[in-house]
Amino acid sequence: METERSFVKSHGEVPGLGKGGTGFLGGQWKRGGLLALCARLILGAVFIYASIDKIAHPEAFAKAVYNYQILPGYVINLTAIILPFLELILGLFLMSGLFREGSVFIATVLLVVFLGAIIFNLARGLDIHCGCFSTSTDGTNSAPMAWYVFRDGLFLLPALYLFYLTFPGKKRNPEGLPPPGYAEPS
Amino acid sequence: MKDGALPNESRMIKVLRQVTVIILISLISAILVNQARPKGVPLLADWGPEVRLTTDAGKSMVISLDEARNLCLDKKAIFLDARSPEDYARGHIRCAQNVPWQSFEEYIDRVFRSIPDDAWIVTYCDGATCSLSEDLAKELASMGYEKVKVLLNGWTRWLEAGLPTEGGRNASHDNRRVS
Repeated sequence: METERSFVKSHGEVPGLGKGGTGFLGGQWKRGGLLALCARLILGAVFIYASIDKIAHPEAFAKAVYNYQILPGYVINLTAIILPFLELILGLFLMSGLFREGSVFIATVLLVVFLGAIIFNLARGLDIHCGCFSTSTDGTNSAPMAWYVFRDGLFLLPALYLFYLTFPGKKRNPEGLPPPGYAEPS
Repeated sequence: MKDGALPNESRMIKVLRQVTVIILISLISAILVNQARPKGVPLLADWGPEVRLTTDAGKSMVISLDEARNLCLDKKAIFLDARSPEDYARGHIRCAQNVPWQSFEEYIDRVFRSIPDDAWIVTYCDGATCSLSEDLAKELASMGYEKVKVLLNGWTRWLEAGLPTEGGRNASHDNRRVS
């Protein structure tokens, strides 16, 4: 529509891709498309759900972080305390659509890091449930970890989709205009 | 009017600003809640094994290799291999029985029946980072066994010291060499 295009040209911003705009879910849907809304809601819900148990049992989560054998000892507790709240706050931002660019960015980075950590441990044969290196060649310990890789990879899909929508590259979008069909008002 | 460079730059600043706000909110709320709640964990903790394995009374559950060897040779302690049955079958300390921590529920009865309360128990697993042995030791301690010790990185150190082992095959018949 004319009004949106001229808004973009004078402000250099893409409407509907952040900054709250007018209205929460309803406004976002009109501008972002149903698929993007679903992706945000699902991703947000996953993060919130994942955070609950970790917030309820910080000691157990600290042990789990320790068992990954990646972070140095002195940051383990801080990670165990802060990470679950980051997931919770992130989930809330994602579901509400506020700070969309920032939340999509953090969500994608987190998921990539989590996936990377599991794959790294899978590759070096560390069983994250006990922090022990498995000598078994039958792969009995790596089955649940392979499942985590699959599951986290699955979560990464909506995140990557949102990332792709939220951060179109220069080649696709030299003038910073919304991709065709993305910001069409209904 | 086309603002060529600005959209991407101001976009980056916007993202940075939002990321900072989200992280700050998370950080502040996390630390506030943690400090306020009774179940909070210390912000800085020592995750070294000596600290993890010190009881509230200040006694250390860590046992040295020499002490463990003596307990085994004098048959004064029961050794428990906390690893999986497969790892146990491939080789274990000669005085050791297998109580895999990851299937502990199946072994609880057996343990209660065959190990007296006042027996010396030494748990071990393999690797400096392995927590099976200490998890098993802590569980036994909470079950009422008062003389439980952990031999850190037990299997590797026992092997390197050339102490008596059982089970498994020797290196030349190791089927892991099959490529």
